[in-house]
Amino acid sequence: MTAQARPLVEAQEASSRKSRDQWLLKYSTLLALFLLFAGFALTVDRFLTASNLLNIVQQISMLTIVGAGLTFGFAAREMDLSVGYTVGLSGILVPLMLISGVPLPLALLGAVAAGFAVGAINSMLVTLVGIPSLIATLATGSILYGINFMSTGGRAIYGGLPDSFLFLGQGQILGIPVLAYAMLLFVLVAWFLMERTIFGRYIYAVGGNLKAAELSGVNGRFYRSAALVVCSLFAAMAGALLAARLGSGQPNAGERYLLDGLATVFIGMTMIRPGTATVTGTFFGALFIGVINNGLNLVGMDTYVQSIVKGLIILVAVAIVSRTTKLKLL
Amino acid sequence: MTVRLSDIVMQYPGTRALDHVDVDFLFSEVHGLIGENGAGKTTLVSILGGSKQPTSGTIAIAGVETALASAGDALAKGIAHVSQEGSLVPGLTAAQNILLGDEPRLGLGIIDTRALKRRATELLARWFPQVSIDLDAAVATLPVADQKVIEIVRALRGEIRLLILDEPTATLPAREKENLWRIIRSLPPRGVGVVLVSHFLSEVKALSDRITVLRDGRHVTTLPADEVSEAQLVDFMLQRAGKPTTAIAEDAESARATGETVMDIADWHVGGVRVERFAIRAGEIVGLIGLTGAGHFGFARSLYTGEGFLSGRTVFAGQPLARPDARGMKARGVAFIPDHRMENSLIGEWSVRENLAMVHPQAGARAGVLSMGLEEKAARTAMALFNVKAHSPEQRIQDLSGGNKQKVSIGKWLYGAPERYRLMIFVEPTEGVDIGAKREIHRHIRRLAAEGAAIIVASSDLMEVADIADRVVPFVQGQAAPALSRAEFSESRFIAAMAGDPQ
Repeated sequence: MTAQARPLVEAQEASSRKSRDQWLLKYSTLLALFLLFAGFALTVDRFLTASNLLNIVQQISMLTIVGAGLTFGFAAREMDLSVGYTVGLSGILVPLMLISGVPLPLALLGAVAAGFAVGAINSMLVTLVGIPSLIATLATGSILYGINFMSTGGRAIYGGLPDSFLFLGQGQILGIPVLAYAMLLFVLVAWFLMERTIFGRYIYAVGGNLKAAELSGVNGRFYRSAALVVCSLFAAMAGALLAARLGSGQPNAGERYLLDGLATVFIGMTMIRPGTATVTGTFFGALFIGVINNGLNLVGMDTYVQSIVKGLIILVAVAIVSRTTKLKLL
Repeated sequence: MTVRLSDIVMQYPGTRALDHVDVDFLFSEVHGLIGENGAGKTTLVSILGGSKQPTSGTIAIAGVETALASAGDALAKGIAHVSQEGSLVPGLTAAQNILLGDEPRLGLGIIDTRALKRRATELLARWFPQVSIDLDAAVATLPVADQKVIEIVRALRGEIRLLILDEPTATLPAREKENLWRIIRSLPPRGVGVVLVSHFLSEVKALSDRITVLRDGRHVTTLPADEVSEAQLVDFMLQRAGKPTTAIAEDAESARATGETVMDIADWHVGGVRVERFAIRAGEIVGLIGLTGAGHFGFARSLYTGEGFLSGRTVFAGQPLARPDARGMKARGVAFIPDHRMENSLIGEWSVRENLAMVHPQAGARAGVLSMGLEEKAARTAMALFNVKAHSPEQRIQDLSGGNKQKVSIGKWLYGAPERYRLMIFVEPTEGVDIGAKREIHRHIRRLAAEGAAIIVASSDLMEVADIADRVVPFVQGQAAPALSRAEFSESRFIAAMAGDPQ
């Protein structure tokens, strides 16, 4: 072998090794999900029952919606750490409006407005003031947390919520929870926007190479802002549904959706297009988290252990992605 | 006493950065190293500084063959490298920076601050007694020239025999340059040789005892600085093996029919570039040529993006314009194909199809909904038009060769409906592209001009502009020189214009 040929052969070997790794990556997460599912099904008797499976779907529906929103942010390479408190904000706002006599459609519109407002503030801080989204949304999250507790005095809001609202979170249509339909709707809308519209293509473009996108005539500021607005909008809708499921507005109910939501996206980034956040990946990521939470619950593991397990899973997912692809988070 | 590099080859996958280079550097000289971007200067000094290892070849210090396994190893053997970007910690003081990593200690890891100050002062006084710098000041607050001196003193704190300076004056104002020049000249008499890498030919010529010219990874020549003119140096840097430019000029290309003026600018001041007047007509190809750093790339880019725009008047297609911006210019029918395609134009993880669809995704959409079928068809059309070699439109762009990437970078502007552009601006359109792809790209540029687009090609490749341009504007140190028309093309005219000789 000549001196010239060697680097080329090495490069080829490296690239075939890379494509094999990518293949493994794409399917290993799905395989892990399947093994996890099968493991619980075999060892925990109440796991593989129709009512428990519907329960899982119900449990992950809000999470999936938050994760689908975060997927837009990740695709544009913007991080939204305020989603948990945005869930809380609309989870309080909607019951408050309903109790004071606002009709349901208007109350839901209120949630949309709240989500839009939070997203608009976040995106202005990021694209106009120039604060990195990680920091800007950390700060707005803290502000929202304060607002949520101040406006409720830290107490839950309940009583007098209309049945039509509770139906959204607790009812069933054709034996399937309404929340499942809602989740499906949001996932489909998010998938369609990201995979089949110019809007989604440009969100990915500004995240993939902002300079190249802008030199191609793409309005970078607009699409980065839009991604952050979608994050907040989806979180606000999840918050409304969460209040309907709980039958009350609770100021701290949304908090766990930040970490779990990020986890769904990270897990999702190991599949479909490794290193890239995709709506389909996020959906499977949410399923993953849902199965773990549910299974560990049934086994009787307490929530602290669940938290440790989830932390480990996030580490593994991010480790896989960052070692096999050029992960660009921030 | 010398460091001798013999028969050095540096092979990267697909490209050879250095091709059997022989050079020796004396400990008693300033040795200028020049060449255009991509000529191999950086690779050569990286090997000399130990941070890169050659594919093959030998290195001998004072006649003894050796290996430079790392920057630390090179340092231990007396070779220090001061890189272009600067390696100081801005928040630390000058004294702390000078002794960074070698601080005198009191024990238990506690720094002896008094000894540190004393040693730093001694070092500065020993090497440059004429210089006075406040060693207690944070480096970030010092003038850029003083920062460079601090970096040099730090490099000299060991037993150094050869100092590599990479573009040391690139960021300095003119007056401060001369102080640094004196400092550089003072080193060889004291037994420290200097390898000076610089884009400023006048500087290299004034400071160096000998000058080595690299071109396309090959050693062109090494000769005493006082035996060569700047124009000859430009000639060495740019000439392509045995192809006389004049022959190209006769290339039966008749003067193109030129139409209306597309863009007309006056008194432009953008970044470090001033252009009194520049106008281009439909159907015309105008070349902008200059050495690296002459400002022609930035100028070409600013015509589309307005980056660095300070003042000036602009008329586009008969309409006055305040200041160009990418989206506005795209809407007016301007295409911009930038240099450094992976950084400025393409998304590495995306497929060829997705990259092609970036400028006009509407062409692959029906009622606003992207259709994979339509996209693939449009992508295949663009790929066929530009002869892009890929397994399929779904192949990832980063796995293609340089030439094919560049074709996609151009092709994405013509994806879908073959839009007619009023103006197309190319910067280094054949950077890192093989000769076959280069010819194809030139053919496309000519065709686009024939179809009525005004075309600007900013390039550092003399042959390229001679090949395709109707008119060439040479840039010298941020100024546009008078244009040369096709009839006036000759290698010596180019060389003279680029070196800034009034001829």
